[in-house]
Amino acid sequence: MSITLDFNGKNLAKSKTLNLHFLPAKVNGDGNANVETYFNNYTHEAPEYGSGVVTNALRGYPLVGNRMQVPEGYKGIVLQETEKPLSESTDRQLRLTGVFDEFTYWNYDKVPSNGDPYRQALLMADVAQALSEPISEEDLETEIKRNRESKKENSS
Amino acid sequence: MSDSEDIKIKAEHETIADGDQSQDEEMKEILKITSLKSLGPFIASQENSQNTVYLSDVPAVCKEKPCMLGVDEAGRGPVLGPMVYGISYCPVESKQALIDLGCADSKQLTEEKRDIIFNEINTLEYANSCMGWAVEIISPNVISTSMYRRAKCSLNEVSMESAMGLIQRAIDAGVNIAEVYVDTVGPPEKYQEKLMRRFPSFKITVAKKADSTYPIVSAASICAKVTRDHALKVWRFPEGLVIKDNAFGSGYPGDPVTKRFLTENIDLVFGFPRLVRFSWSTAENALADKAYDMEFDEPETEKPKYAGTKLTKFFKGTTKEGEVIREECRFLKQRHLSSVHEF
Repeated sequence: MSITLDFNGKNLAKSKTLNLHFLPAKVNGDGNANVETYFNNYTHEAPEYGSGVVTNALRGYPLVGNRMQVPEGYKGIVLQETEKPLSESTDRQLRLTGVFDEFTYWNYDKVPSNGDPYRQALLMADVAQALSEPISEEDLETEIKRNRESKKENSS
Repeated sequence: MSDSEDIKIKAEHETIADGDQSQDEEMKEILKITSLKSLGPFIASQENSQNTVYLSDVPAVCKEKPCMLGVDEAGRGPVLGPMVYGISYCPVESKQALIDLGCADSKQLTEEKRDIIFNEINTLEYANSCMGWAVEIISPNVISTSMYRRAKCSLNEVSMESAMGLIQRAIDAGVNIAEVYVDTVGPPEKYQEKLMRRFPSFKITVAKKADSTYPIVSAASICAKVTRDHALKVWRFPEGLVIKDNAFGSGYPGDPVTKRFLTENIDLVFGFPRLVRFSWSTAENALADKAYDMEFDEPETEKPKYAGTKLTKFFKGTTKEGEVIREECRFLKQRHLSSVHEF
């Protein structure tokens, strides 16, 4: 199986910026949504919960949210697949719909915090960066030296 | 009152119901309700997804003489539109004015009669010099979100908070309250106890059908009911829906017009416009059939029981083929990360 991402840097730069919402609910449906009139219309600032906090509701469920930036060094993209793969081995092709640098994150009746699964998961971005950062010869030497010294201290 | 006046009020009524003609008035913000005519435009100038409180001027006499205060609500049952809480007050000795106005059981009065009395409360000198009123329009959006909180807040709690909030506002505005009369649908005892704890210095009476027994409650009831009716008439849909003459029926789930409105105005993703109380079972059922299924991040109802490491855990380390099952890395698990692709 192979996955083809059907775009390049050029159309990535030209592509339109999307206004996205991260919802605390799973919608079992696919199609256009009247986001502007049924949702955006009702977003209110709620300074009583903290600066930048906004409130709204989805099907009567209270939502509390805030604007979030895509982590530095990353770019948010939305991909679309016209045909659902029939089996795991089929080749897939994903088309670029739009890009985003920020979006609105919503919690169900809970002020967004570092305890939210989304923010916890994003720590992975920092870890991944630390893991993939090149290590210089020099760094290695100092680390070995430090190790040796601590061993010595332990044994003595 | 003469017939000609009666007709005039009816005519006013029609312009309000019309909506479009009163548009000019709605453009500038209306801060004061001085008659029935300004009620609709006032409501229309407020944001209908949030609660609105309005207090009339407090007559000087209500600040000096001991007053009675009545509390009642309108629009508790309907699946559409706001619920309105109303209070009215006047000196204990001015009871006759209420009777002269015709404040009696508001459910016995026709809509027109209620409108006329509401207009007189605000315009006639003998009435507005001795009595005042206030309403809170509790938005259907607020009703839904309160009832769907993680820590559910029942409609009764919303109601009591609103009633106590209005009484507090009257106190803050300088009304010299001595007696409070409250109409209730639920058991009066609990409600009475709660009110007495909050306002220990007043003589408080909570009763079923207080609306028909105490004229001051009837007056509150009229203010609430007239406000609710007008709120529906001037309702504008931020969703952009246009319903001719805002004809969505009484809002009671049994009303065929309301039923039709509910079935014909479903948005697949967002459900209904926010005129609808999503927390009503009628609304929930309609959505379960017609709109996309939606699963919320529900509150955790059960805490995992912890009884130490199970002994059998040590035998579960391999699959039938003898492959070692590796437990997910704790760092990833705690951060809700899992691999979607086998390497």
